[in-house]
Amino acid sequence: MFSRLCLAIAFSPRFEALLAEAAFLTKLFNAHLTVLHVGEEKQENVDAISQTLIHKTLNSSQFRIICEAGSPSKVILSVCKREKIDLLIAGALQKENIFKYYLGTIGRTILRKARCSVLMLTNPSADGMSLTNIVTLAEDSPFVEEAIAISCTLAQASHAKWIHIVRELKMFGLTLSALEQSTEKEYDNQRHHLLQEEIDKVESILNRVPHSNVKVNIKVISGKSGFELTRFARKKNADLLIVGAPNRRIYFFDRFFRHDLEYVFADMPCNLLIVQVKKDEN
Amino acid sequence: MRISHHEITALLIQLGVMLLVGRLFSELARKLKQPAVVGEILAGIILGPTLLGYFQPELFEKIFHLGQSSLVLDGFVQVAVVLLLFIAGLEVDLHIVWQQGKQALFTSFFGLVIPFAFGFALPYFLNDYFVAATDHTRLAQALFMGISMAITALPVIVRILMDLNMFKSKMGMLVISSAMITDLVGWLVLSVVLSMMGRMNEMSWFNTLWLTLGFTLLMLTIGRALINKALPWVNKYTAWPGGLLSISLALCFLAAAFTEYIGIHAIFGAFIIGVALGDSEHLPERAKEIVHQFINNIFAPLFFVAIGLKVNFAANFDFVLTIIIIIIAFAGKIIGSGFGARLGGFTLRESLAVGFGMNARGAIEIVLGLVALEYGLINETIFVSLVIMALVTSMSSGPLMKLVLKFQPKK
Repeated sequence: MFSRLCLAIAFSPRFEALLAEAAFLTKLFNAHLTVLHVGEEKQENVDAISQTLIHKTLNSSQFRIICEAGSPSKVILSVCKREKIDLLIAGALQKENIFKYYLGTIGRTILRKARCSVLMLTNPSADGMSLTNIVTLAEDSPFVEEAIAISCTLAQASHAKWIHIVRELKMFGLTLSALEQSTEKEYDNQRHHLLQEEIDKVESILNRVPHSNVKVNIKVISGKSGFELTRFARKKNADLLIVGAPNRRIYFFDRFFRHDLEYVFADMPCNLLIVQVKKDEN
Repeated sequence: MRISHHEITALLIQLGVMLLVGRLFSELARKLKQPAVVGEILAGIILGPTLLGYFQPELFEKIFHLGQSSLVLDGFVQVAVVLLLFIAGLEVDLHIVWQQGKQALFTSFFGLVIPFAFGFALPYFLNDYFVAATDHTRLAQALFMGISMAITALPVIVRILMDLNMFKSKMGMLVISSAMITDLVGWLVLSVVLSMMGRMNEMSWFNTLWLTLGFTLLMLTIGRALINKALPWVNKYTAWPGGLLSISLALCFLAAAFTEYIGIHAIFGAFIIGVALGDSEHLPERAKEIVHQFINNIFAPLFFVAIGLKVNFAANFDFVLTIIIIIIAFAGKIIGSGFGARLGGFTLRESLAVGFGMNARGAIEIVLGLVALEYGLINETIFVSLVIMALVTSMSSGPLMKLVLKFQPKK
């Protein structure tokens, strides 16, 4: 699934927790971890990272440490590209203030521009990844199947209680208003049909993805997709929200006429994983 | 001046009869798989001067023209048209439009520009029908006819796409988002046309224009953000859905009052506030559904039946003009939207289907026609032709789309 991981790290209070999460994922996916520190290389920093990772039961062949100076988001994105990283891990604040949101911060810039999967940890745990509720969006992303597969793998590995797979009903209000000339029975049937159609789509994906020992709840939402998804994740006390990357780049304009993902970026309900798998390398 | 006991009785009878006969004929239309508006217009024609007024003029006068009751009914109809445009605004989803990208841009651009050009040329070619005292009025007439050919009826399209099981398809979303763009631009241009006509107030043309554009810009930016901030509070601290509905409708009427005051029609304010409100993530779909049901089943029938009460369809029917308008409407939309969809990467058949889908004019065309009639931009003959064109395009869109796609090779 992921063979090359990269953890972008700064020496913040969450430093150890981020390393613990990255170590957990490295072992889970049997991958190689690149730890990237944007800044000058100092031996004591490199030693601190090494010792923490070894303490988290990684051996030295499973990781390497890179220090590079420059603009943080540019350096991180260029290292990901150069090193052919599959999954970039970084820490992020849950919410940015409105000016920072529109101007763009390091975390949000990475989310918008990375060409690989990105895991943003708003609440990393020093004990590694421990998941109870995973919420996964099963919208029409080119990576929806991969997103569900990854949520099943993570749920199995961390013994999560539930995976909530969310599907969106587009323009539900408008759809139902178009049914106003139906009888009560026709209206109910159509309403039921609309919901069932979405559930069937999720079930057909689940049939292709191994998910034994995982409890799955399919939830159909309506309204502004990203906003309702965030609300649902919060309501379920989700530890991780997984979404497939969109089929096009997210532009500055998407912050005004908000793209679904921009609602999530603006106020992350929990840790966020955006899945973007390089199909040709799969 | 007080409305008398008899006039109140007459008004209540008018409302009752209009809703009852409107429902009867919309049910008939439903049985024939046609939009409700077809039945409602027919009900108006039967109750109005065309049939009842012709065969039973005394009864018609007694029911519909008793003292001030008809004036109050006119007030109801004005409120109905404002509310119809409010829900048309609620349906515009800027985010969906933006997400569809260049395909929607092409389809809506050509679906707007080509029919607009066809319609714009009409008043210059049909001098006998479009009487204009000045070049200024002729220009306003041409602009209006351009918009009337360019506009698209979103609810009719949604229903057609659902019947064809294409609502969530790529083509379905393209047609819907293109219709949204067309409506938004169409109403903006109409507001400019109406400000050109500058009726009933002292404001200069320039002042009306900058106030219109300023209002639009403000409502779609700061107004939209403020509404989005206020709605969570409304949802949390007021009764649901009562609080939300009252406040939404209050905003709708206030915005409508503002645009009426500055010299463009009240419907424009209602439409723009609808767009601003509908764009908020805090306006639940359930609330939208309630607003739709309330307006579509009470106020919309009143409005459409009232159309038939206002105009004598038999006396004002001109076969040649109606045929010309229908041909221009079909040609403009099918060529324009079809060409746009083709540029956006659809096959020839799919592009043709998009053109047929976008061709439905529905209720919005009738509202537009009525506004132009009120402003003296068109006469009753043109209005009748526009209503017939709206009905023909709405009724034919679904079957034509189905026909074209029937022979589409499976991918």
